[in-house]
Amino acid sequence: MKDVITLLRPRFLSFKNKGLLKNDSGRGYKLALFGSIGIFFWGGIFVVSLRVIGYFKEIEGLGDVLADKLLSMVLLTLFSLLVFSNILTSLSKLYLSRDLSLLNSMPVPSYKIFIARWMESTLDSSWMVIVYTLPVFISYGIVYGAGFFFYGNIVLVILILSIISAGISVILNMIVVNFVPANRIRNIFIFIGLCFFLILFFAFRFLRPERLVDPEAFSNVLFYLRSLKAPAPPYLPSTWAFDSIKATLSGHIMQGLFHTMLSLSWAGVMVFSAIIISNAYYFKGLSKAQTAQVRLFKYKYSGHRFLGFLTRPCRAFMLKEIRTFFRDQTQWSQLFLIAALVVIYVYNFNALPLEKAPIKTIYLQNLLSFLNIGLAGFVLITITARFAYPAVSSEGDAFWLVKSVPIDLRHYLWIKFFIYFLPLLVLTEILIIATNILLKVTPFMMVLSTVDIFLLVPGVVSMGIGFGAAYPDFKSENPAQTVTSFGGLLFMMVCAGYVGAVIIIEAGPVYRIFMADVQGKVLTVFEWVWVLGSFALVFSFSIAAVMVPMKFGEKRLSKMLI
Amino acid sequence: MIELKELTKRYNDFPAVNGLNLVVRKGEIFGFIGPNGAGKTTTINMMGGVLAPTSGAVMICGINMQDHPKKAKSKIGYIPDRPYLYEKLTGIEFLKFIGDLYGVDEDTFLNKSREKLRLFSLSEWADDLIESYSHGMKQRLVMAAALLHDPEVIIIDEPMVGLDPLVINMVKSLFQHLAKEGVTIFMSTHTLKVAEDICDRIGIIHKGSLIATGTAEDLKRDIQNKDADLEEIFIKLTEE
Repeated sequence: MKDVITLLRPRFLSFKNKGLLKNDSGRGYKLALFGSIGIFFWGGIFVVSLRVIGYFKEIEGLGDVLADKLLSMVLLTLFSLLVFSNILTSLSKLYLSRDLSLLNSMPVPSYKIFIARWMESTLDSSWMVIVYTLPVFISYGIVYGAGFFFYGNIVLVILILSIISAGISVILNMIVVNFVPANRIRNIFIFIGLCFFLILFFAFRFLRPERLVDPEAFSNVLFYLRSLKAPAPPYLPSTWAFDSIKATLSGHIMQGLFHTMLSLSWAGVMVFSAIIISNAYYFKGLSKAQTAQVRLFKYKYSGHRFLGFLTRPCRAFMLKEIRTFFRDQTQWSQLFLIAALVVIYVYNFNALPLEKAPIKTIYLQNLLSFLNIGLAGFVLITITARFAYPAVSSEGDAFWLVKSVPIDLRHYLWIKFFIYFLPLLVLTEILIIATNILLKVTPFMMVLSTVDIFLLVPGVVSMGIGFGAAYPDFKSENPAQTVTSFGGLLFMMVCAGYVGAVIIIEAGPVYRIFMADVQGKVLTVFEWVWVLGSFALVFSFSIAAVMVPMKFGEKRLSKMLI
Repeated sequence: MIELKELTKRYNDFPAVNGLNLVVRKGEIFGFIGPNGAGKTTTINMMGGVLAPTSGAVMICGINMQDHPKKAKSKIGYIPDRPYLYEKLTGIEFLKFIGDLYGVDEDTFLNKSREKLRLFSLSEWADDLIESYSHGMKQRLVMAAALLHDPEVIIIDEPMVGLDPLVINMVKSLFQHLAKEGVTIFMSTHTLKVAEDICDRIGIIHKGSLIATGTAEDLKRDIQNKDADLEEIFIKLTEE
């Protein structure tokens, strides 16, 4: 055990030493910001859970069935998330970390390295899932007036569930690593997970859950739900957790303890099995993971007539960016996600039951079209956060090249800007035009939303590149995750503020123009001044949104030590 | 060709490089040696335009790096100590990337890239992704890229790390040949034998300051031991 603690010590020490960095003066603010956001989300989940479970409980005869079903679904989702997250984290920690060569050169048995790494990966992959599902379970306790034992048992049950998930994941990894190289497995699992998620997502969406608000459809749904009393599969660890929680919720402490102990015994089996298997297979798998990848493709050089209209530096960076993107398999899954997002987005507008709404269809269509500018703006922010924000960080350790070649940082950042601006402009315009066609909006709204998107895209992309340059992380193993940093958060907040401000500034004038159009009236001089003033304000706001972040990014990046 | 004027770099209050003054002439090979943490890499990074000095100036072929970085950098072939590259590009694509940034035209690129790949024994690997290269191959590729645009000045940090004896020998001859053609070479190294073999002059940096410069003979005179080799000179001058 002493060896395992020694192996874990660098992790504790690096966490403790974070405060020793002299340059990190804003750490307190960052912690406060992230802490507040975390607490806000936790509180949000708690309030929503409390209301939903409370509402279920009030439904005579059916409430308990619904609450049970929800609990069982939450536990199954929690279990699946834990397994998925553990697979990815343990793969990185056990097979792909950079310090593994150093650790394995030490006089420590490989199973002890395995235990230390496994503990780290279990903690890393589980803590957030656990923290954010706790409010759901606490809500159950409050709504059903559970005793003190319930809350203690919950903590125990979730911990056991995470250990079981970690055990299943790590055993699965140890087996698969012997057949497929570790870095490919990661991509394969991400891909499978994504496909699974997309299937569920599409299935749920195409079921058209909005029909539940229709009283006729709802009665059929209730009838269906009555048949849901069928028990959950008894071989799933989430079912054991469900049995334990359900028993303690209704005050059957001994019964609850029995199920908890049953789970605990299985967790013990998983821990010992994993250690025994690791002693035999971990080092073998690790050795396989460290061998070089087999070359799948040869990329024959054939000169570059492609993009020949661009300047040389621009073409060089653009080709580099395109090649790097398409040769990195982890990026492919992101493209699938975007495609799914676009399909669902457009489908949502197609499925809107506008004719059943109490407001006149023409108003609703155009109101939705106007609000859709904001919605498309938020989709744009999400995609920019995933692709444009990490664009500078993705240079990684090779950033010295950018600094040493005869091209200034301003030029470099503008090249990055245009690489992302064009595809994002096309994508967002497609979203807005397609949804407007489905909504059958007036020509004025069509022109307005197309022009607005044309103004919003450069601002948002510029913020992505600018903030990404101002807060880069060249050491990150996965640059896509840099958006979860302080800079990324700042980027999203400023962007959301920008899109929101544009919508608010335009709301009044757009309403006046639209009403005048529908009612066949002419705008007054005051209204014209207001309209022109608002659009001029939006225009100047958008120019500033393009220029200021780029300048900010350039200034901070030039001062950065590499 | 290279002139450092009162070059200073401070990290917070710590002076990593302290008022460095130095002139390296056209066609000269200058060896820059010093203990770990003496300020060698910081100096090289400032000379390559990768790091901004706190004060002082770097002049490359008479061009001030701070005032005209683009112009100054186009004269330099910069080779860092760790060859971090774009792993998803092939060797030839990387050379093309660098060629485009330095404005090497297509025909010149085709000839030069073929020549450099052959010189550094990388022709066979030209169409493979850099991620499959060994450390030594990456180091050779960086060198090939740095020479692609016929630089007037080569700034190189630890040139021989990761290279096999055959390549080391080739690089030494190459540097001597380039120097004869008028290229100025500034190299930092821990391999004192290499410095002794090929450098016209050697500078010793210690705690951010240049404590000695001159030919091997000058340095021997400094420590009053005409039989000393560079290792003995180095130890004598840098010992606490």
